[in-house]
Amino acid sequence: MKVKPVNHAKAAEEFLEDAPHLTFHDERLWDMRQKRDQQMHLLPEWQDLRTRASEIKEHTLANLPEYLEQFEANAKKNGIHVHWAKDGEEHNRIVAEILEQHGAKTLIKSKSMVTEECDMRAYLQPRGVTVTETDLGERIQQLDDQLPSHIVVPAVHKLVPDVARIFAKNYNTDPNDNSPQSLAEAQRMAARPVILTSDAGMTGGNFLVAETGTFVVCTNEGNADLSATVPNLHIATLGIERLVPRMADLGVFVRLLSRSALGSPITQYTTHFRGPQKGGEMHIILVDNGRSTRLGMEEFWTSLKCIRCGACMNTCPVYRRSGGLSYGAVYSGPIGAIIDPTFNERKYSTLPFASTMNGSCTNVCPVKINIHEQLYKWRRVLAEHHELPFVKREIMHMAGKLMGQPKLYRTAINGTEVALSTLPRFVLYNWLNPWGKHRELPHPVKQTFHSWYKQNRLKKDKAQ
Amino acid sequence: MSSRDNILATLRANRPDPAAHPLPPVAMLGDMDNSRQRFENALQLLGGQILLPEEGDTLATAIARRFPDAKIICSAVPDFEGTIRIEDIESPQQAAATDVLVVRSPFGIAEMGSIFLSEAQLNSLNSAAHLTQHIVVILSEDNLSANMHTTYLERPEFHTANYGVLMSGPSATADIQGVLIRGAQGVRSLSVWWE
Repeated sequence: MKVKPVNHAKAAEEFLEDAPHLTFHDERLWDMRQKRDQQMHLLPEWQDLRTRASEIKEHTLANLPEYLEQFEANAKKNGIHVHWAKDGEEHNRIVAEILEQHGAKTLIKSKSMVTEECDMRAYLQPRGVTVTETDLGERIQQLDDQLPSHIVVPAVHKLVPDVARIFAKNYNTDPNDNSPQSLAEAQRMAARPVILTSDAGMTGGNFLVAETGTFVVCTNEGNADLSATVPNLHIATLGIERLVPRMADLGVFVRLLSRSALGSPITQYTTHFRGPQKGGEMHIILVDNGRSTRLGMEEFWTSLKCIRCGACMNTCPVYRRSGGLSYGAVYSGPIGAIIDPTFNERKYSTLPFASTMNGSCTNVCPVKINIHEQLYKWRRVLAEHHELPFVKREIMHMAGKLMGQPKLYRTAINGTEVALSTLPRFVLYNWLNPWGKHRELPHPVKQTFHSWYKQNRLKKDKAQ
Repeated sequence: MSSRDNILATLRANRPDPAAHPLPPVAMLGDMDNSRQRFENALQLLGGQILLPEEGDTLATAIARRFPDAKIICSAVPDFEGTIRIEDIESPQQAAATDVLVVRSPFGIAEMGSIFLSEAQLNSLNSAAHLTQHIVVILSEDNLSANMHTTYLERPEFHTANYGVLMSGPSATADIQGVLIRGAQGVRSLSVWWE
């Protein structure tokens, strides 16, 4: 069966209908963007940091095989078991095998986008492993059976009553509880016993350090450190692109990460795992899942520089008004729109069009990924691969013809002015004009710039 | 071919030209102020506190005043008694009964208000730093590093500790409708005591 493309526009339409959720979502993310700006303005070296971060990442990606080997050798020397997974299925199998060897039936985990990518919970659950997310936002999403809608704040599309309803169902709390404090306390109380009795713990990670064989986890709630230090078995899953060469390179990235993400100078916890704790066992799974192929895509490989801060999502007008779930993918927002098509070109063919091309994502990216240019390039690739829907393809085809011939274009433009001011609404606003949904077409102008120029300037220019 | 070799071979075939992407020298940027004042400002921004001594105070009396209801006060330092020593806690899970943990940090970071802890300070009971309700961290202002760059360059712990955490204030979350809550799943409060 052929995969159907995600209908982002339709999902966004549904999101737009709910005013309280939409307003909160839009304002909350914009607030994060503004807090990021305040932090940026405090550091005169901000642009230097971005340049360094970009250069370090590009260097690392160009030397990825050597650095991965160096990382592996050092991690093994420190007593870490290192595994390699070419895709999600292999990753999940490795996790299941480690758990089985230890007879582990319960797993507590902190947030990890890679395990979402691999759909790990769905694999482990039927094999008798109970997986409990311990990050508050991720737990809310798990209980509500939804993907995270944002890579940093997974439940940002929900309001207090939504959380109260979910917790009431699962934690027996008051469904009318409208205090975020008491709901967060309910999560703490519910998570503690699970953490204390769990057979194994799992974390993701933000950075791998080749020089020392260390991996670094940046979090705020303390749940990742609990997951890693309470059970004696710790499994960590990271994408192979997470490498930096030297310990000292972390300075650049740690200074950028939380400032870009939340507008706080640093996450509450920045934890460096270099080896198992006393009496414990530590495994790390290095996941490819399409990354090595992406490295070979000349126009798109730099998307692998991403440090998953979410700044591009917070600033994106389309993301803020459509919500992460509307992307129908593990990664949403601008960064999602350029990496999702590498996982499934047809399924995610609509996502690169979820942008106004304003370039704000590129401007805020701490590792200088040219996100909006890649969005544009993806549109071209998708058109070449015939992954455009009919209306978009035909409109682009006509527009292309029109713009390629100045005379035809001018006639049409003059005609448009007449049409906009005289045609009845049903002709202008219909399924052939998706742009006109939820938007008014621009007011017709009395005269085009071209005809004004011809009248007023061209003669004078000639006279001189 | 194993997945490892498969992945490495694909990377070798696909990577951009290494010669076009040289490694920049280690960055040393930003404010080099390593003062106690800068540290305290940063710590307070992240929700941490300073445990200030009053006239005639010792650490013990200051803790008793700050945590009047604490029943189990665990000490991980030789110069403070507490009600239980960290050496006497037998499993990572057992640390959950702790109300207050008192521990000494080898260094702090002025830029972030962060303190560092590793298995060396926690008698290899790393869970104690996160299962305790509150943590009191003894720190000397002689051991402040200016910023993240100086820290990673200067401190040997990043090359020796198996577990090394930078804690910057207490645990926190803003996952429910954006409301910032200090005291999420790890410590509810973090206080620094200057020595």
